[in-house]
Amino acid sequence: MTEEIKADMELDLKGLLCPLPMVRVSQNITKVPVGGIIKAVATDPGSLADIPSWAKSTGNEVLKTEKVEKDLIFYIKRLK
Amino acid sequence: MNMDPFSFIVAILVYVAVIVFVAGMTFKIIVWAKSPRMKINLGIYPKPRNGFVRFFRIIRDSFIFPQTLEVDRWMWVFAMLFHAALFVALFGHFRLVREFTFVSNVIGQDNLNTLGAVGGGTMGIIMLIALGYYLFRRFASPYKDISVPEDFILIILLAGIVGLGDHMRFFGAVHTEDYREYFQSIMRFKPAFNEALAQSQTRWVLSWHVLFVNLFVIYFPFSKLVHLIGTFFANKVRSE
Amino acid sequence: MLDIEKKELMIQTLKNKVNKQLLYYLDVCARCAICRDACHQYKVTRDPKYIPAYRAELIRRLYKKYFSVLGKLFPKIYEAKDIDDEFLLSELYQVTYACTGCRRCMYYCPFSIDTLHILSVAKAILLSAGMENQILRELSDAAIMKGENIELFKDIFVTMLKESEPEIREKIKDKNAQIPIDKKNADVLYVALSGMHSILPAAIIFDKAKINWTLSMFEAANYGYFLGDSQKAKTIADRIVSEAKRLNVKEVIITECGHAYRVMNFFYEAWTGQKPPFKVSALIDSISRYIKDGLIEVNKNPSSEIVTYHDPCQVGRNGGFFEEPRYVINAITDNFRELTPNRTKSWCCGGGGGLVAIPEMDEFRIKTGEIKANQIKETEARIIISPCENCRLQLDSLNEKYGMDIKVKSMMEFVAENLKV
Ligand code: HEM
Ligand code: SF4
Ligand code: SF4
Repeated sequence: MTEEIKADMELDLKGLLCPLPMVRVSQNITKVPVGGIIKAVATDPGSLADIPSWAKSTGNEVLKTEKVEKDLIFYIKRLK
Repeated sequence: MNMDPFSFIVAILVYVAVIVFVAGMTFKIIVWAKSPRMKINLGIYPKPRNGFVRFFRIIRDSFIFPQTLEVDRWMWVFAMLFHAALFVALFGHFRLVREFTFVSNVIGQDNLNTLGAVGGGTMGIIMLIALGYYLFRRFASPYKDISVPEDFILIILLAGIVGLGDHMRFFGAVHTEDYREYFQSIMRFKPAFNEALAQSQTRWVLSWHVLFVNLFVIYFPFSKLVHLIGTFFANKVRSE
Repeated sequence: MLDIEKKELMIQTLKNKVNKQLLYYLDVCARCAICRDACHQYKVTRDPKYIPAYRAELIRRLYKKYFSVLGKLFPKIYEAKDIDDEFLLSELYQVTYACTGCRRCMYYCPFSIDTLHILSVAKAILLSAGMENQILRELSDAAIMKGENIELFKDIFVTMLKESEPEIREKIKDKNAQIPIDKKNADVLYVALSGMHSILPAAIIFDKAKINWTLSMFEAANYGYFLGDSQKAKTIADRIVSEAKRLNVKEVIITECGHAYRVMNFFYEAWTGQKPPFKVSALIDSISRYIKDGLIEVNKNPSSEIVTYHDPCQVGRNGGFFEEPRYVINAITDNFRELTPNRTKSWCCGGGGGLVAIPEMDEFRIKTGEIKANQIKETEARIIISPCENCRLQLDSLNEKYGMDIKVKSMMEFVAENLKV
C-alpha cells in the first residue's frame, strides 16, 4: 500500500445483507462534504457488485476495494 | 286527466329515468368492454381448478362473499339483509305489472294480499334498519374519513324511497289494484290516477316515492352502484 | 407548483394506465371499509390514510377529475382533484410506497378490489412527476449499471465462489462439487440473491441432487418492480433473461424471493408482451420435487425444536405455493406448528414492497409487524422458515424488537442443514 486513504467517515456494515450495505452508503454520502471519503466495511459479497454499480450510477467514485480476510473494504468518494 | 301537476311531472320523469338508466348502464358497459385487458392473470391463489369451479366461485364471491364475514361480521349481516330485502321488495313490485295469479290461484287472493302486506312490510323495515346502520357508520371514524358525498346521497335517496314505501304499506287506505292501475297507465304512456287515488291524500306519498325512485334510478349508472354488474367482473379477475 | 408540461405527462400516464381492471375497481368500490382490518398497516396504526380504500380513493379523485362527467361538472361534491394537487400527491406518495403489496385487502373485499393494482398506477403517476422513492430508484439504477458492467465485479465474484467450494465439498462429501458459473447448456440457471447465504445452501442441494446447473451472475431481486417503473424493472429482468438465452438453459430457478418469482413468472410477460422462453420455477417448488423424486434425502427429526412457517404473501396468496413448503418441513420435523391464520389468509410480515430497503420506513415497518410478531409468539416456535428474503429481513428485525427468541431460516438453509449425506 503506497498511500493510506484518509476517510471522513467510517461505516460498519458487517453482517448486513444485500441491499442494506448499499442503502447505508447512499444514506450517508450526503453527510460527508463533496470530495469527502467514506470507508465502508461490509461482509456481504453482494456489495462487491452493488456498491461500485451504485457509485457509477449516482456519479460517485469507488477509489479502492480491498478484501481483508472476510471483510470487504470500500473507499467511496463523494463527487457531487 | 285527473292528475295534479306535480304527480304528472313525476310520472313523466319515469320515462326519463328509464332512458337515462338504460343509456347510462350501456355506456358504462361499453367503456368497460372497450378498455384494454391486462395481459396477465393476477388472481388470488389457490386458483380454481377448471372453468366450472371458477364459475361457481364467481357466483359465490359475488352473492355471498364469505370471506367478508370473517373481518366485518356486522357489515356482512347488514349488507346481506339489505340486499336480500331489496331483492324481495323489487320482486314484489312486479305485482304492479301483472297480478301474481299463479300465487293467488293456489293460496287465494286474500292470502296473497296478506302475504304482500306482511312480507313487503318486513322487507321495508329490514331495509330501513340496514340503511340506518349504513348511515350511522358513516358518521363514525374511520368510516367518515373515507366517505364521500355520493355515499350519503345514495343512502338518503334510498331512505326516502323505503320510508315512503313503508308509509303507503302501513298507513294507506289505497289498495294494490289502484296502484296497479296507476303503474299500468304509465306503462301505456297515459299516466293517470284512478278515482280512489285521486280522492286520497296517499297520492302525495306515492308521487314522492316515485320521485325518489326516479332520482335514484337516474343517479344509479353514475354511482358506485354499478357494482350491480361490476361485482361479477371484478370477482372474475380474482379467480383467474 | 409543477409546470404545465409535467402535468400533461402525468395526465397522459393516468390515461395510459386505464384498463378494465382499474375501471372496475374505481367504479365499484362501495367505501364500505370492510378492507380496513384486512390491512395490517391500518390495523396497527389506526390511521385512516392506510385504509386500502382510502389509498384507492386518492387515485379515484384524479380519475373523477379527468374521466367522469359528474366529477367534471361537480368537482366539489365529487372531491375531484387536480393531478398536481400537492397535498394529494404527498399523501399518495406516503400510502403508495408504504403498501407492501400483500393483497390481503383484495382477499377480503366483497368486490375483490386489488388495491395493489390501483397503487401501481399511483406509482406510475408519481414517477412521471419525478416524485418516486429515491432509494428504490438508486437500487434499480445500480442493478441496471451492474448488468452493463459485469467486468466491474466478475473476477472478484468468481474468486469468492471458488473460496466457498471446499465448504460444499466437505458438507456433501463430494470432491467434485462446485459452484458453476457461465456454464453453457446447463439444464438449470439458478438465480440467487447477491449474498452467499442464498448461494451456498442451494449449491449444496443442487450438487447433492446431481443437477446440471449454473449460477447466474445477477441477483433475482428487482427493485424496479417495487419502484413501479416497468421500464427499469424490465431492463433488470432482461439481464437474467438474456443470460439464460445465452447459456441455453432449459429452466430458470428463482431463489427464495417472493417478488422475484412473480416478476419472472407473471410481470415479465405484462411488460414485454411475451413469456420468457424457458421454464420458470421457484426454488421451494424445486426442492420439494427433489425430495419427492428421491434426488435428495433429509434426516427426520434432528431436533425437537418447534418449527413454524410464514407464508410470504408473494409466494402464497400471490404466488400459489402453499403445500410444497409444508411438505418439505414435514419431511424434516414432526414438530411443525402452523401460524393462525395461514396460507391464503396469512398476515403480511410488514416488510414487503421493498420496505426493508427504505430506511425512512424502518420504524413504521417494525411497528406494523406487530401482528406477525404476536402470531409467531403464540406458536412458541424456536425456528421460523420463510422462503422470501424480504420476509426474512423483516422477521429478523421483529425478532430483535419484539424479543421472539427465534431463528429465522430460509428453506434451503433448513434443508441443507438436515441433508442426508
Ligand atoms: C351481487 C353482488 C353485490 C354485492 C357483493 C354488493 C355489495 C354491497 C356492499 C358491500 C354494500 C355496502 C355499501 C355501504 O357500506 O354503504 C352495498 C350497498 C348497496 N348495494 Fe350492493 N351489492 C351487490 C349487488 C347489488 C344489487 C344487485 C343492487 C341493486 C339493485 C345493489 C344495490 C345496493 C344499494 C342500493 C346499496 C346501498 C347504497 C349505499 O350504501 O351506498 N347491490 N352493496
Ligand atoms: S372492502 Fe372493497 S369495496 Fe369495501 S371499501 Fe374496501 S376496497 Fe372498497
Ligand atoms: S396490499 Fe396489503 S399493505 Fe397494501 S393496502 Fe392491501 S392489505 Fe394493505
